[in-house]
Amino acid sequence: MSAEILSNLKKALRDYDQEGCIVWAQKAVAEGVDPLKATEALMEVMQEVGDGFTRGDFFLPDLIAAGSTMTAATSILNAEIKKRGLQRRSMGTVVIGTVFGDIHSIGKDMVGTLLAAAGFTVHDLGIDVKAEQFITAVRQHQPDILAMSALLTTTAKEQKVVIEALKKEGLREKVKVMIGGGAIDQTFANSIGADGYAPTAPEGIVLAKSLSGK
Amino acid sequence: MAMKGFIRKFKPLEILSEEQFQAIHKATLDVLQNVGIRIEHKRALQLLEKNDCQVDYTNMRAKFPPGLVEECLQKCPSSFRVKARDPQNDLIMGGNTIYFGPAPGKQTVNLDTWEPREATRKEAYEGLTILDALPNVHFLPSYTPYFGFEGLPPVMRIPEICAAKLRNTTKWFFEGYSNDCEIFVIQMAQALGIDIMESVLASPPLTFYGETVECAFRLAEAGMPGRVLPGAVCGATAPATIAGSTVTANAEIIAGVVLLQLMRPGMRVEVKDFTFPQNMRTGSPAFANIGVSLHGVLFAQIWRRYGIPSGMTTAYPSSKIPDFQCGYEKAIIALMAALSGVNLQLVQGAIHGELTHHPVQAIIDDDLVGMIGRFLEGVEVNEETLALDLIAQVGPIPGEYLSKEHTRKWWRKEQFVPQVADTWTYPEWIKRGKKSAVDYAKEKMDQILATHKPTPLTPNQEKDIERILEDARTFYKEKGML
Repeated sequence: MSAEILSNLKKALRDYDQEGCIVWAQKAVAEGVDPLKATEALMEVMQEVGDGFTRGDFFLPDLIAAGSTMTAATSILNAEIKKRGLQRRSMGTVVIGTVFGDIHSIGKDMVGTLLAAAGFTVHDLGIDVKAEQFITAVRQHQPDILAMSALLTTTAKEQKVVIEALKKEGLREKVKVMIGGGAIDQTFANSIGADGYAPTAPEGIVLAKSLSGK
Repeated sequence: MAMKGFIRKFKPLEILSEEQFQAIHKATLDVLQNVGIRIEHKRALQLLEKNDCQVDYTNMRAKFPPGLVEECLQKCPSSFRVKARDPQNDLIMGGNTIYFGPAPGKQTVNLDTWEPREATRKEAYEGLTILDALPNVHFLPSYTPYFGFEGLPPVMRIPEICAAKLRNTTKWFFEGYSNDCEIFVIQMAQALGIDIMESVLASPPLTFYGETVECAFRLAEAGMPGRVLPGAVCGATAPATIAGSTVTANAEIIAGVVLLQLMRPGMRVEVKDFTFPQNMRTGSPAFANIGVSLHGVLFAQIWRRYGIPSGMTTAYPSSKIPDFQCGYEKAIIALMAALSGVNLQLVQGAIHGELTHHPVQAIIDDDLVGMIGRFLEGVEVNEETLALDLIAQVGPIPGEYLSKEHTRKWWRKEQFVPQVADTWTYPEWIKRGKKSAVDYAKEKMDQILATHKPTPLTPNQEKDIERILEDARTFYKEKGML
């Protein structure tokens, strides 16, 4: 029974079938399937999609659809994990968002989904995220990494505002900051005191692994 | 079931006005009736004389009355099926369907120096495996991929290449003729129960040699389809003008069509434009000259009016390497031909003219053909594609379409995703070693050869083919040609 549920859960994610994924996640909980095993099953599929995207065999609509389908199922499974007092094995925790004034989500979504596929716990704050929202999220989730995206040269400097706010709140030493986006390069990353920059989403995942030290 | 090919969903490109079309048509009939065509074959001349042509046996010249021309053009089927080894690969020629095939080369090239050299048997067989695997190769022409291979005596080239195609692809193909080899090609087709079309080739200006007419008789007797084409060079074997060389080419092709229809009424015939301007620097055909496109677009328009399936001059580049020149030459020739409404076109694999072919180039060109094919399929406009409900649901910013099922369903249908073109961002391109389409095509070639296995002949079919090849060897030995 458990094997059948896991196999259906994976199939629903492969089909980007959000409703199906929710139904099978709920069934997993109802039937007493280990929520960690169910999460691992989903992670296997996410890994397939993430690797396929990095190779060029999968495309953006696949990545985004897999990401949102996965999120729908994991919110159910995470509640069960918490209820049972279990701990999900994670590569680390990441808070991610596109900075204030910038509404470009694709690059951020690519990195967020690939991070989740690689086994990170990802808290996506969305787009147009103000410095104080980042600060609140860092306090709440105590992430290993804060990841920020900016596509525009006009909004890139907002990343510096967030880093300064982290310093002011005494949080800078507690979190690694990685940045990316069309307007960013290594020189800029150095100039604002970020811990890392990557030019592409797959390289961002490599960077995150190295920053989290896991 | 038959090979799908591409369906052109909009009006074809036509550049002749009605007045211009009539002028060319009239001039063509004038050449046929008053100048005539030299046909170096007594039986053919007798057949023409019996059907109201005025024949001069001393000069082997026949003059064609317009009535006979009209009658024979009407006898040709406007659409017909040709049988492949795998019925799913049959072609249905005519109408708005366009099929693409590879452009063969005499030799292969060295991938490091790009210099030509003779292919080995293994390379010829591998080249066919690649063509069997490529999704936008719908059929194979004669002499493909190479005109021969190392160690092959000249008279055995066509029979051996024909056998190689049968062994390495289930796609439909046509063949050439030379030194009576059509006897054996026809036997192979009959042994497998398939159609192999062969060329009936005019030798401009206004001449058919006996050998090609003999081939035509054999095709007609066997009930095989024929393709009539003249290989003309404007300014050398045809007038330098596009209009004038269209007149001579049409007169030559019509003479061939009349002959075939008299030999076998209703015979399946495809006609091909194979005309090049002359390269006035070197004397060779000016491959990929824009005159090729002008000639081809006229040709397609005229033969659509005559109601006979047509093919257009091959996308042969002048370039010697897969560079920018090669790309624009092929793209313009292939796109113009596709828009003009021809039914068959040769694109994949040619590197320089018909002198060289390589699978790497064929793989790159398969993307070009995919792009053109996608364009031909046009735009679907209906409730679902207009997406009015979705537009209302998404609304202005922060609405977006990337996460929508509609996008997942439609993006691949609307776009064409190339197999080997470099479409990465700068950082990805650098990370991946600054690879070009040529690099990706080399990788793809290795991958196809490692994984794709063409459907082999059955042991009995293989026995038949080997026996026919042995008969051919004996035939040429007895003639002292082997």
